Amino acid sequence: MSQEVIDQIAAYLTSNIPIVPISQGAEAVVFTTNVHPYEPINAKTSPNDQSTKTKYVIKYRPHKKYRHPSIDRALTKHRTLGESKILAKLSQLPGLHVPKLIATDVYNGCIWIEFLGEDLPDSFGFSNLKNYLWMHASDPYCDDVKKTLIKVGHQIGLLHWNDYCHGDLTTSNVVLHQDNGHWEPYLIDFGLGSTSTLVEDKGVDLYVLERAIISTHSRFAAKYNEWIMQGFRSVYEDEGKKGQQKMKDILKRFEEVRLRGRKRSMLG
Amino acid sequence: MLRHSIPQFDSYQICASLFTDVENTRELRTEVASMPFAMIDASCIGSLEQLFCAVYKAILESTYNRLRTKNLNSECILSLSPTSNIGEAFKRFGIKEDSKDILCLTVVNNTESIPDTLFDDVKGQQIELSDENLESRINLDLIKKVR
Ligand SMILES: Nc1ncnc2c1ncn2[C@@H]1O[C@H](COP(=O)(O)O)[C@@H](O)[C@H]1O
Repeated sequence: MSQEVIDQIAAYLTSNIPIVPISQGAEAVVFTTNVHPYEPINAKTSPNDQSTKTKYVIKYRPHKKYRHPSIDRALTKHRTLGESKILAKLSQLPGLHVPKLIATDVYNGCIWIEFLGEDLPDSFGFSNLKNYLWMHASDPYCDDVKKTLIKVGHQIGLLHWNDYCHGDLTTSNVVLHQDNGHWEPYLIDFGLGSTSTLVEDKGVDLYVLERAIISTHSRFAAKYNEWIMQGFRSVYEDEGKKGQQKMKDILKRFEEVRLRGRKRSMLG
Repeated sequence: MLRHSIPQFDSYQICASLFTDVENTRELRTEVASMPFAMIDASCIGSLEQLFCAVYKAILESTYNRLRTKNLNSECILSLSPTSNIGEAFKRFGIKEDSKDILCLTVVNNTESIPDTLFDDVKGQQIELSDENLESRINLDLIKKVR
């Protein structure tokens, strides 16, 4: 990660907020910290589970020097606000799991969110869906994997049923977080998220995830994608006739997007 | 009196107290504009998180954008509201004729000192400003109207 970017954000946050870089993308860099931006210590948590392990994620969109300063400010504000708003809205949807939004500074391109997940045992890395599936490669069809993938599909179904789309649904953007002993999938990174009633956007979401599963877990992908779609369909099936119809439309488009994708790759 | 500061903005100090059974609300209301602190209807506040989230936002606006109200104290009341409508924010989160539970809040520069007597004009019983006390006094019907 560029030292310049780290210096920028360190100066902004001051030495009171120590940060650890964890990821760098094209658009944003991500850090963790154990300092809450505003809550007094001991506010919510009782003294004994006020662990020093409580972590927060800071997602920072740095200045882009190649953009005109006023355009840069406007774009940063627009994207930071967009991601915050969608996260805040999604948090209110019953049953949907997304990290909690804690703070937003649109003037400096900064979002604070709840940290989710943990390090998997045996150096399998961070508990996103991709690493979790790798961890189970020796017993790929175990019950835990099946349950988890159905839940992943269920989360995506809830998202789409409520007319939101993720925009970058990869296996790294599904984080598994332990809630009393079992894994619950949470969708993260709504930087490309949007509200959408279009079947096209939903079909593309499903296609992107399917491709991600095929490319990293190819031997087991058929079953995995079947389980994901089982969870996805269950949301729509619970919504009666209207749900059934909407699902049919999405699945039809999903199939079309898949064919388009194949054609494109054939043409090279 | 609860004293706190925001890690990122530690040149400010924040002081807040919670009063119940306030008897002189009517009188206080006529002087809201001249008081050196904000008076918030505590029945609209459910947690310290909610309160300090607004303080953080107010300081953020003041540092990186501009104050949209007269001073940081009133800015905190505006920041409690999801909209930028100032009148609406004061109506909802400021004290009303019949407010019994009042949260007093001030945000000032570190160079100033805050006397322990700051909130003495409020004639009520001071109780600990804690999540428990806020949660037990919140009026959910009022909060649900905010959008
Ligand atoms: N809420 C979160 N909890 C834990 N890790 C996160 C969180 N948000 C982002 N990350 C990590 O940071 C990376 C980049 O984040 P993003 O730019 O939002 O895709 C992700 O792939 C995760 O590894």
